[in-house]
Amino acid sequence: MTADRPPAPSWRSALALTLALGAGVAGAAEPLQASVSERAGRLVATFDLPTAFPAEIERQLGNGLTNVVALVASVVPERGGSPAAAGARTLEILFDVWEETYAVTVRDARTPRGRRAVLPDFAALRTFLSTQRDLDLGPAGELPPGPLVLEVRLDLNPVSREDLERTREFIANPASSGRPGGGSRSVLAAMASILLREPEEGEEFRLYRSSPFAAADARGR
Amino acid sequence: MRRGGPGWLRVSGFELQIALALAIGVTLSLLGALWLASDLAEQNLALGFNPRMVGRVQAVPVLYGELFQARKQLYAEQARALARELPRGEAEARAYLAGALERVPRLRRVAWIGPDGAVRAEAETDQPNPEGEWRAAPARVSLVDGGTLECTFAIEAAFFAELAEARDLAEVVRTVDALGAEVRRAYFRSFGALLVVLAGVAALVGIALARRTTRRVSALVAGVARVRAGDLTVRVDPGRSSDEVASLTRQFNDMVREVREARDRIVYLEKISGWQEVARRLAHEIKNPLTPIQLAFQQLEARWRAVPGGDPEFGRLVGEVAEIVREEVGTLQRLVEEFSGFAKLPDVKPSPADLAEVMEDFVRTSPQLAEAADLEIARGVGEVPVSVDRVLLRRVLANLAANAVEASRPARARLHLGIARTRDRAVLTVADEGPGIDRALRGRVFDPYFTTKSEGTGLGLAIVKKIVLQHGGEIQVGERPGGGASFTIALPLREAEAG
Repeated sequence: MTADRPPAPSWRSALALTLALGAGVAGAAEPLQASVSERAGRLVATFDLPTAFPAEIERQLGNGLTNVVALVASVVPERGGSPAAAGARTLEILFDVWEETYAVTVRDARTPRGRRAVLPDFAALRTFLSTQRDLDLGPAGELPPGPLVLEVRLDLNPVSREDLERTREFIANPASSGRPGGGSRSVLAAMASILLREPEEGEEFRLYRSSPFAAADARGR
Repeated sequence: MRRGGPGWLRVSGFELQIALALAIGVTLSLLGALWLASDLAEQNLALGFNPRMVGRVQAVPVLYGELFQARKQLYAEQARALARELPRGEAEARAYLAGALERVPRLRRVAWIGPDGAVRAEAETDQPNPEGEWRAAPARVSLVDGGTLECTFAIEAAFFAELAEARDLAEVVRTVDALGAEVRRAYFRSFGALLVVLAGVAALVGIALARRTTRRVSALVAGVARVRAGDLTVRVDPGRSSDEVASLTRQFNDMVREVREARDRIVYLEKISGWQEVARRLAHEIKNPLTPIQLAFQQLEARWRAVPGGDPEFGRLVGEVAEIVREEVGTLQRLVEEFSGFAKLPDVKPSPADLAEVMEDFVRTSPQLAEAADLEIARGVGEVPVSVDRVLLRRVLANLAANAVEASRPARARLHLGIARTRDRAVLTVADEGPGIDRALRGRVFDPYFTTKSEGTGLGLAIVKKIVLQHGGEIQVGERPGGGASFTIALPLREAEAG
């Protein structure tokens, strides 16, 4: 049973599938459904990503490993330029193969320690992931004049500092299976682990853009 | 030759070349090793992070999920089987459920819940689970006539620990796989860093090792420069090594010593030659008028004695003067003889001899020496083969012995004669227990006509040195341990015996 089982589809294949289905790529025809508003002196964004999590991605998100969806939302001038406001949110998804439920831990500026939700199936998970509410974009300052857009960048399983540290420990001492402790038995491996750098930002991410809106729209909502 | 920087930081060109050669050798080797190791690392990474392997590792949690599913189905089926056979009487049901705990593997608790929610019968085991730590896996079956049968099965807790470990590993492998290119670059950077470190260490070790040789070569070069500038007192330390550089240094020292001795010999012999000419002329000039003076005064004395009735006072005066003239003429004649002897030193006619035997012959055939001094002879070695003129060497020994006897007066002299040999030299020592020679005068004692005695011509030691130099040897004056003067003569060993 195990020998013939194909490996779980990677994010790349899911991404390719998403592209094939014509999902919201940056500059694609379908803009991101989003709203930016001011609440208690802070900008918050709410947006929908219905096409970002196709049904085919269930196999990956249900693989029993911790999968991380990293979202970075920023308000930028429509014609490009530096972000006027930005915020980030990570969603750690772990499918419990015993309970057969999805445990999601959401971390953002408001809940740095994370808030947890347990979802009974993939449909609930997909709904949960697709609608992102009240992402804090920072203090509501002066937004630049002219048309603005909300850009949302989505990465699946980006390499975090913790991942990098675990990888360093794994390279230094593979026998420990990535768990901390135990010195390296190889000078070369120890040096390689020290010299391992964060990967340069690649192109394996998804970028969504909303329709243009004005600063007054954000303040008025 | 030397580069800047104080002390150990100074690096000579020679050292730099050796260090550079080592660094290049190490770098080339390491570059080869780098290529091989990079290839090996690439192969290992390709093997260790083969996409199929990565996929299989990441699929492990799913496999555990399927295992759990299978267990759940099994437990559900077992619960249904129990429900089918469940007696409707409560007493029978309790017995049935108690028996079920023994029949059904991993069943820990079973309860019949009536439609009203009340427990009609139940059984639970307190026996330890044969498979160790366990977690509860519930299975509930609805009964046909209402109510439910609630079962609790055991599932091995180890599965969950293994699942957690497999998930950790799979997540690490996934990250490493995602970082594959960066991991390769990290290994390459490590190789590069190690290459630089090892090449640097090799260069430092090269300099350190090279210094053991180059410092001695540099010292030799400096020594040669000093010799070229005319300094023949230079001596380079060969160190404790026995390699070619040490051998070269020793030969250089020997060569410089021989050149110095040859130069000293030539200078001294030229000086002696000049003094011999002076002595020859003096002897000639003094000797010529001595005989007429002596004859004239003898005639005068004879004529006076032949005339009778002369003045007795004048006769006594003539007798006293005649005595004085004879003594002084005799002194002058002895002086002339010594000058002549010094001026006409014969050429050396060497023949093979044992130096110890020559010395013993001298002692045996010089009874006057035994009368004048106490002798102590030290001969600690066997034959000491030399090539010497026995007659001249006897004269050397006689002059040194006479010098010692005279220096010890008025006390009776004690002479210490010794024979020894070094690697290429025969060493003859003549020492006494007299007052010794003042350190300031030691450089002049071999100069002709230099003497510290009221009597004597000052030619004895000059003759000794000339004879020694003519034999290819050298003589040094020093202090005898315990007091007294010591003359040390070093003569070359006979050719076939040297070394």
